[in-house]
Amino acid sequence: MTKRLQLAIGIMFMTILIPKTASAMHIMEGFLPPVWAFSWGVLCIPFIVMGLFSINKTVRGNPRLKILLAMAGAFAFVLSALKIPSVTGSSSHPTGVGLGAIFFGPAAMSVLGLIVLLFQSLLLAHGGLTTLGANVFSMAVVGPLVAFATYKLIKRAKGPQWLAVFLAAALGDLITYVVTAIQLALAFPAAVGGFGASLAKFMGIFAVTQIPLAVSEGILTVLIFKAISAHAREELKSLKVFSKEL
Amino acid sequence: MISIDKYAYSSKLRYKDPMQKLVFTAMTVAVCIWAKNNIISVVVIFMMGGMTVLRGGIPLRFLLKLLLVPMSFLLVSIFTIAVNISDNKELLLLAVPVAGKWIGFSAAGLKDSIRLFLKALGAVSCLYFLSLNTPMVDLLSALRRLRIPKILVELTGLVYRFVFVLLDTVNRIYIAQSSRLGYSSLSSSYRSLGAMGSMLFVKAYKQSDALYTALEARGYDGELNVLAENYESHWSWYVSAVAVNALLVLLAVVMKSATGGPLL
Repeated sequence: MTKRLQLAIGIMFMTILIPKTASAMHIMEGFLPPVWAFSWGVLCIPFIVMGLFSINKTVRGNPRLKILLAMAGAFAFVLSALKIPSVTGSSSHPTGVGLGAIFFGPAAMSVLGLIVLLFQSLLLAHGGLTTLGANVFSMAVVGPLVAFATYKLIKRAKGPQWLAVFLAAALGDLITYVVTAIQLALAFPAAVGGFGASLAKFMGIFAVTQIPLAVSEGILTVLIFKAISAHAREELKSLKVFSKEL
Repeated sequence: MISIDKYAYSSKLRYKDPMQKLVFTAMTVAVCIWAKNNIISVVVIFMMGGMTVLRGGIPLRFLLKLLLVPMSFLLVSIFTIAVNISDNKELLLLAVPVAGKWIGFSAAGLKDSIRLFLKALGAVSCLYFLSLNTPMVDLLSALRRLRIPKILVELTGLVYRFVFVLLDTVNRIYIAQSSRLGYSSLSSSYRSLGAMGSMLFVKAYKQSDALYTALEARGYDGELNVLAENYESHWSWYVSAVAVNALLVLLAVVMKSATGGPLL
């Protein structure tokens, strides 16, 4: 076999195998060593506490919002259980990070994300309890923060609405998996080359393959956002409470 | 709709105190992850799987099917960890040359991968023991007893109830859309999904509004209080949970000192 042939076979296997397995990408139960599982959990606490305090403040003034917030959490969970077809022919679950961050703001999203991830691990067997901290950090803390910042930045630069929504959703999705790759690389540095080599490997498998899926999520989020702002302008206005005050 | 939830309500261990199940699961997961030992992991897999199937009455077929769920993540990540790139062929057991370097498995990497595989499966079987034998409502009452912030537990409980309402809506919309060829091509699936997402949002909003009105009419003041179930609770459960895990720790320590590995 020539080198080129070997490389071609390798790439062929990669493209056949990876997109199908890229659907459930939360770090599974028991995968992280105790130190890392614990540290990521601890790192999430300030964000959750902040989110809880601001939710408490908003809800005390208007108890109707508590029910609405819970409905939003259920909406995020159901959305993440949908399958979106990707351009590469495989399908994946949207993270819902972008839509949630735009609607509810990053602080409320940290709490909603925690609840959604808890349900995913207990009801759908995606993710796990010991790795809940790591998954919350990537999907409910960093993802929404990046998505929210992107959205605000483009809006401030007077960019078109659809571009802001698209980039927020796509980047929010992508950064979630970049953080996941970093978390895995930190926990499992390569025997040869250490953290850097390991990061390259995990990025290749978790982040690069995620690019088409992130684009798909971006497109879907734009479609949903457009439809919602056409059908439910009034409802959207009352949601402003969350992204402003939280 | 969600089969794990369905089985949890029909489990024979359902009325055992959720706190006891939670404590037992937490201890066993901790021991399994700490030990990083193939034998301990296998013992944990069989113990937790056995409890779920024999004591809980969950069908073995379903448990096995559930164990396949994290397999894609597990295999991909373990493969990623096991494969190394090196200049030196001697380090690797099995290697292919690519662009002047060697890509392959090292003996140590392979051994680590197997250990990680079994460890993760052990932890997963602990998680399944908890989720297949404890309905979410019971778990929330345990969390309340653990002094988790009230607002978080309450929100979680509300979300849990709403999830099923919305899932039902999604199912009905999906059937309606696909019977009209809404998912026949890529572009039409996107259009259908977009419509579904926005309708779901509107429905969720309306539902929460209606629910709030109904609650307020019945004297809702910002808190939902429900009576806790009566659970079968006995101190001997805690004792046996501790005993089993102490035995596992002892076994792990003995094996570790026999092979001369570090204890932590």
